[in-house]
Amino acid sequence: MVQIDLGQVSVRDANEKIRKWGAEGEDVEVLNPDARHHIGVGLIHPVRVHIRGSAGYFCAGLADQARFEIENNVGWGLGDNMYAGTVTVRGNAGAIAGVAIRGAEIVVHGNVGSRAGQVMKAGTLCCVGNANFMAGYMMYGGRIIILGESGERVGEDMAAGDIYVGGAVRSLGSDAQLTDIDSAEVDDIRAFLDRHEISYKGGFQKIGNAGKRLRYATSEQQVRSIPFFTFSGTSNYWNPKVQEDVYVKAQIGRYRVRGYGGARTLPHLSDLAFKRDLSSAGTAGDPVAAVEMRTEIGGLNGAKALKLSMPVMIAPMSYGALSRSTKQAVGMASSMAGIAENTGEGGMSDAQRGAAEQLVFQCLGGRLGWNIHDMNRADGLEIYISQGAKPGFGGQLMAKKVTKELATIRGIPEGIDLRSPSRHPDILGADDLVIKVEEFREATGYRIPVSVKLGAGRVRDDIKIAYKDGFDFVELDGMQGSTGAGGAEVMEHVGVPTLAAITQAIEALEEVEGLGKMQLVLMGGIRDGIDAVKGLCLGADAVAMGTAVIIAGGCIACMQCHVGQCVTGIATQDPTHERRYNPVAEARNIHRYLEGVRWQMAALTQAMGYGSTTQLSRDDLVAVTRDAAEMTGLPYAPEYREREQALRSRMG
Amino acid sequence: MCGIAGVMFKHGDTGLGTGQALIDMLDGCQHRGPDSTGFALYEDAKPGELRLRFLVEEEKGASDGIGHNSGVEGAIADIRRTLEEHGAEVVDDEHVGNSYRAVVRFSGDVQKLTYDMEHAATLISIGESLDIRKDVGGAHDVDDVFHVRDVQGTHGLGHVRLATESEVKPEAAHPFWATGFTDIAIVHNGQITNYWKMRRRLERRGFEFHTDNDSELIAVYLADKLANEVPLEDALKTSIDDLDGTFSFLVSTKDEIGYAKDHLAAKPMIMYENDDMIAIASEEVSLNRLFPGRALDTREPPPGSYGTWSRLT
Repeated sequence: MVQIDLGQVSVRDANEKIRKWGAEGEDVEVLNPDARHHIGVGLIHPVRVHIRGSAGYFCAGLADQARFEIENNVGWGLGDNMYAGTVTVRGNAGAIAGVAIRGAEIVVHGNVGSRAGQVMKAGTLCCVGNANFMAGYMMYGGRIIILGESGERVGEDMAAGDIYVGGAVRSLGSDAQLTDIDSAEVDDIRAFLDRHEISYKGGFQKIGNAGKRLRYATSEQQVRSIPFFTFSGTSNYWNPKVQEDVYVKAQIGRYRVRGYGGARTLPHLSDLAFKRDLSSAGTAGDPVAAVEMRTEIGGLNGAKALKLSMPVMIAPMSYGALSRSTKQAVGMASSMAGIAENTGEGGMSDAQRGAAEQLVFQCLGGRLGWNIHDMNRADGLEIYISQGAKPGFGGQLMAKKVTKELATIRGIPEGIDLRSPSRHPDILGADDLVIKVEEFREATGYRIPVSVKLGAGRVRDDIKIAYKDGFDFVELDGMQGSTGAGGAEVMEHVGVPTLAAITQAIEALEEVEGLGKMQLVLMGGIRDGIDAVKGLCLGADAVAMGTAVIIAGGCIACMQCHVGQCVTGIATQDPTHERRYNPVAEARNIHRYLEGVRWQMAALTQAMGYGSTTQLSRDDLVAVTRDAAEMTGLPYAPEYREREQALRSRMG
Repeated sequence: MCGIAGVMFKHGDTGLGTGQALIDMLDGCQHRGPDSTGFALYEDAKPGELRLRFLVEEEKGASDGIGHNSGVEGAIADIRRTLEEHGAEVVDDEHVGNSYRAVVRFSGDVQKLTYDMEHAATLISIGESLDIRKDVGGAHDVDDVFHVRDVQGTHGLGHVRLATESEVKPEAAHPFWATGFTDIAIVHNGQITNYWKMRRRLERRGFEFHTDNDSELIAVYLADKLANEVPLEDALKTSIDDLDGTFSFLVSTKDEIGYAKDHLAAKPMIMYENDDMIAIASEEVSLNRLFPGRALDTREPPPGSYGTWSRLT
């Protein structure tokens, strides 16, 4: 047993030591904790940590196998995302005790705060005292035992799992119901209580999922979708697309869900033109050899930066929305091109990790597939706040795609229409967010850059918050971004176009003197190297491409990504369909496409007279439409339109 | 996007001063808001005297053009003149940091004086007991300028803030006071979503607002109730249903301190009470700053709850 005194050393130094001692099998006693945050986060060894006093937020967070005992109270997020191991708290716990746990045993001898066990997947959370508002909120599995009162709306929107309440059940949450309890369950609970030396003689009421909201009541009929150019390209007020929507909604009585990007015509990068005459671009030798394009992203605060061979990354897309083979192909292509891939929601597979040399691991509100071990083997950690295609909404994955394998990785029940939470349990403002970022850094020893993905909404405020909360970089996603599944109305009508987003973001960074410090990666409808160069001119440090990459790898743009029967084997989890996809061949195709992007970027940069993409600036652009000029503040110069079209037809 | 703290010594002096206690608590949660820090400090009132504090800045002088004098000294001269014109006799004053503090002897209509002074200059606080000190920077930065630690006091509130406006200005910092009313201060963590609706409702009844900050609304809302002789506890109770959004806020008057928390419990709050004091903060780490090395018996108020404490002296 070794001692560490938090009156003398910082939490950061203490955590480093605790992890080191953990690896050596040494138990630890923590003195003078005084409710400091992040004590013991990321500890993955079977040692005992005794905390002599109160701990703050995320005590024992992201731990695996360790055994924690806290003599007094803990703050928010006790045992966050814990795998195996135990936690015993002698006092009270704050909100979201046992959030997102995947197997631990957590016992709180006092009361627990609101939303205990939110999005938990497995394991047991036991509260000896009273629980508070919405215990078991959105839980996907595992067991909550409350010996005192349940609090209001217990089991709100739970998808699975069991809640046992010894005291009064104050009120049930939506889609929760009282169910029968059998003696084997009670025996199992009593064994648990005995093991934790809790004496309780009373009985239990059991609460489970009522099953009314796990699936959409009526599934959307399969139609051959009317493509978006028919939708947006005609001047008819009542066009065939509108008619189709009315027919389908008359059947299902709700909004439609579809995949792919927005179809509405919005001001975009093609409404900008280069000031210089670039008709000679690409004619002078090898532009790729002549132009410096290497870019490092994420080193702002001393973490190991992503090293990109060009200022391009792969946009986050989930294993789930896409097949395993597709994620593998994209990962392979990213390695061949020397850029970084991103897991998106839903966890990291070995195949993906093996394929991508540099991989950013994304953390969403449902914490589906999120875990310390994959964090440790990631090259970047990303907190998803929202996405451009559907800002403010969580991911959607229709039942057809929620296969056994996928459900296992995500820790959720098989075959539900998964509607991921739209917000994080522990991020309800900039003040919480800063503590969350710090948790990730503490858990991984400050080695890995931490980014935030923002769907463009209140861009100015969000960018300033991201900067002040200490993110290493931002992935900013405009309204033209795509998604595997989203409400059709939201995709068309909610959000801020990419052009406006990057303009506002740069202005916001200027205002807080963060320009040139916190990096911006722009995404949302970046189609090729021409778009990419324009994005860099507008101030992005790099761009990220998703849809273009998928199309390069065989997507036929049928907009049926959500259905789960993708004929190309891309947006499916059905082995029959996936078999059609040849990851090695498609990786080569994607790579060839990315090399084309590289050449375009180099050729344009060279033709502008620059030796490096970092020299690109706003001064190189004009706007050829009034809307684009308004959004970007660039000079309105419609006379450049023809030249832009010529450039695109020659180089695009 | 902030952290809050409040403390009340039920029987007066415990050796741990109000100013020092709030500095420690706010320093403990400065991570929640690095941009500005503010204190609402209450001291025993002297009958017939009012404390006023104005924002006076070099480049602007007294805001809104009270007179023709330029610079800080001119602005102060203008404030003094306006006070005297309204029958307030300045008995003590000082210029410190970004502010001008005046103690006046006054026996007229305080609400009228308040509105008149606000139209003339940027008034930060007014009261028989209340003094608000706020500025950009951390708890220790503000203390260095305003000597918060020297205030023994009876009770007080504190606030740290993360700003998203382009220029972090002291007037946007908390605590807020209720325009037109004396001795009421609030600190708030969260967001009031029916702000404009509630503000218009109060404006139609003649109340004035001096910022677009939703926290000011809470102060005016409560002050209106208190002016109509609604007990603070009842005003807090109705605020939970009348205000929509996420909030954990603290309010203080001359003799009371209170809290309210929204129905969703989206914003943290934790409290420690013993026979001598009540201390409330966003995070327990702030409470532990007052009692290093101790395991405190703290309490997290439930969603949709409220409470008040009074001085017992």
